[in-house]
Amino acid sequence: MNQLALLQNALVVGAILFSLGLVGILTRRNLIVMFLSAELMLQGISVSLVAWSRYHGDFGGHVLVIFVLTVAACEAAVALVFVLQAFARTGRLDSAAWQSLRESNLPRRVDHELPAIDTVPPTFPRLTPAGVLPAADENDLLQREHV
Amino acid sequence: MIAVALPSPGVILAGAVTAAAASLWLLLPRGAESRVARWLGSLLGAAALAGFVLTGRRLGGLGEEAVFLIVSLVAVISGAATIVSRSPVYSAIWFALALAGVSGVLLVLGAQFLGVATIVVYAGAILVMFLFVLMLAQPAGLAPYDRVSNEPLLSALAGATLLGLLTLSIGRLSADPSCCQMPSKAAAMAAGSAGKSGDDVQAGDAIDTAIATDPLAADQVARLGGELFGRHLLAVEAAGVLLLVALVGSIAVVSRHGDPSGELAPARRAAS
Repeated sequence: MNQLALLQNALVVGAILFSLGLVGILTRRNLIVMFLSAELMLQGISVSLVAWSRYHGDFGGHVLVIFVLTVAACEAAVALVFVLQAFARTGRLDSAAWQSLRESNLPRRVDHELPAIDTVPPTFPRLTPAGVLPAADENDLLQREHV
Repeated sequence: MIAVALPSPGVILAGAVTAAAASLWLLLPRGAESRVARWLGSLLGAAALAGFVLTGRRLGGLGEEAVFLIVSLVAVISGAATIVSRSPVYSAIWFALALAGVSGVLLVLGAQFLGVATIVVYAGAILVMFLFVLMLAQPAGLAPYDRVSNEPLLSALAGATLLGLLTLSIGRLSADPSCCQMPSKAAAMAAGSAGKSGDDVQAGDAIDTAIATDPLAADQVARLGGELFGRHLLAVEAAGVLLLVALVGSIAVVSRHGDPSGELAPARRAAS
């Protein structure tokens, strides 16, 4: 296998994952999705580290990724606690609910009215009734009431 | 035989990065939903992926290329779906699929322990924790803040610029020893323990590095453990302390400042 080609391809995959996570953490307003984007960036870094490790024939990248996993677990635990606290205070998972913490020279974010979601009610297939409706058995009905 | 006049890799890469930016901008939630934007965004995203696949280097074997292509496409497509999904629950599920792809890439790269650990730790523990929080905190239906995003155009441009710069610099990597090939410490240590002299290390560098982290070796994970608990023992201890501190800290934060609405306060008074 061409080691340099493998390194480059894996680094490109890591770069794509990292960029996707960056875009997600910049744009999304849901706190949970922001954390998922941060974890996506960590995954991109892990792929890059292991690719370099493979190329150099060294376990350094592997060891670093193990510590990344550890710190990610700690970070998720602590951060989710804060997310829950934020939700308990505002009732929303919205990062813009905390925009009073912004810099004083930044404009306030104003939410405009959103158009209603044009959800089409789902249509389920209906079975055509076939045969004759059986006569109701009284004993059966009595037993069913106790269920 | 079939001479297809492909543009140069730089042109393909620039087109792919531009298509990725446009695709992300179209796919990110922007309030008004339109089916056309979604389809166009998906098409542009597929074009961007095709560009990246075209500019990728050949690995040498058809099977390896196919496996690497499949797992990396799973990782990248699911990663994109993670950040463009409106519902955070769908985001979490897509992230689980992205983790599966990433662990596949790690397996291709010869990191068996990490491939399995990613699934176990991330998908098994961290993601389930995310889903628990979503279950506790998610309002019914789509929240308004899930249907809009902060500056989608600027963010997509920033992400695409970063991606373009990274891929450009990755494409310039070469096997020139003065540039990127550092002498491997593991190879040097392996050679040193075998009693070789320094000149042999330089000469047999490629062979020794192939042996040091050989993914097909039966004791590869054992070697990783030896490295982890040998050279990095202090860091392992520090990580253990970090885990303990995170555990104690999160419990302390929850139990002290929890629930300002006071719903659980009588219960806590009764308990104490």
